Amino acid sequence: MSDGESIKTIRLGGELEIGRKDEIRTALQRSGSDRAVLLDLSDVTYADSVALTELLRFCVSSSHDAIPVALVVRTPQFARVVQYAGLAGAFKIFGDRDAALAYLARSDTE
Amino acid sequence: MKPGSELRLYCPAQSQYVAPIRHALAAFLEALQVDPGARDDVTTATGEALANVVEHAYVRSSSKTRDVQLLARIDRGGRLSVYVSDRGSFIRRKPLPGRGFGLRIIRAIAQQLRIDTTRGTCVSMTFEGPAFLEKR
Ligand SMILES: Nc1ncnc2c1ncn2[C@@H]1O[C@H](COP(=O)(O)OP(=O)(O)OP(=O)(O)O)[C@@H](O)[C@H]1O
Ligand SMILES: [Mg+2]
Repeated sequence: MSDGESIKTIRLGGELEIGRKDEIRTALQRSGSDRAVLLDLSDVTYADSVALTELLRFCVSSSHDAIPVALVVRTPQFARVVQYAGLAGAFKIFGDRDAALAYLARSDTE
Repeated sequence: MKPGSELRLYCPAQSQYVAPIRHALAAFLEALQVDPGARDDVTTATGEALANVVEHAYVRSSSKTRDVQLLARIDRGGRLSVYVSDRGSFIRRKPLPGRGFGLRIIRAIAQQLRIDTTRGTCVSMTFEGPAFLEKR
């Protein structure tokens, strides 16, 4: 990615669950100038199917617009629940920010 | 805490109560010295059953009392049973588009899942394994 400005970072933390559905949906927005999205979920301690549905909706709509999305995940519960839901193939998940940025940079040149 | 210990909670079936119920269950499991990985799994599965009550149980029901009940009980054989019940009506359907993860997550975690819909809905989940054996 040549222009760092065009990578949007969205940060969500704590427990992503049914009680925060509206807040999660509001946070997951892109603007026309965003060329890629880094979804920083490093501080997410818990996610439920409601949160997964919102994340999936965001990733699918971004993919339709050819905007790559990379997730940074550091906590075991999130990684596991994604597996349990059968969604391992649906998200690009990385263990740190640098790896996620490297992926987004690669996606730009492809 | 010993095997035979149980946790029982009643709450209105509203989304703001799901996290506190989950936290209470996590604390109960911590007191039983269930390790963090198994604790996460049990609370993840239970969180799905609770979210389903909030989202679906009372949509097609005329019940005036819209509540949810949680019962968690551990036995000496190292088996944890969690029951999530409501007084609503179970909605049988094909998965909604882009949805249907909740029961899938529960099935991936629990050794047994039973959904009894004779009076309201009671989702019973059984979790087994060394994590649930009494620590000495
Ligand atoms: N307590 C309940 N009361 C009424 N219907 C229920 C209950 N629990 C589950 N259901 C029914 O089972 C279906 C499947 O539940 P499941 O949790 O797998 O998916 P979902 O809730 O529709 O979506 P997701 O969990 O991905 O947010 C629900 O759509 C609903 O019709
Ligand atoms: Mg559900």
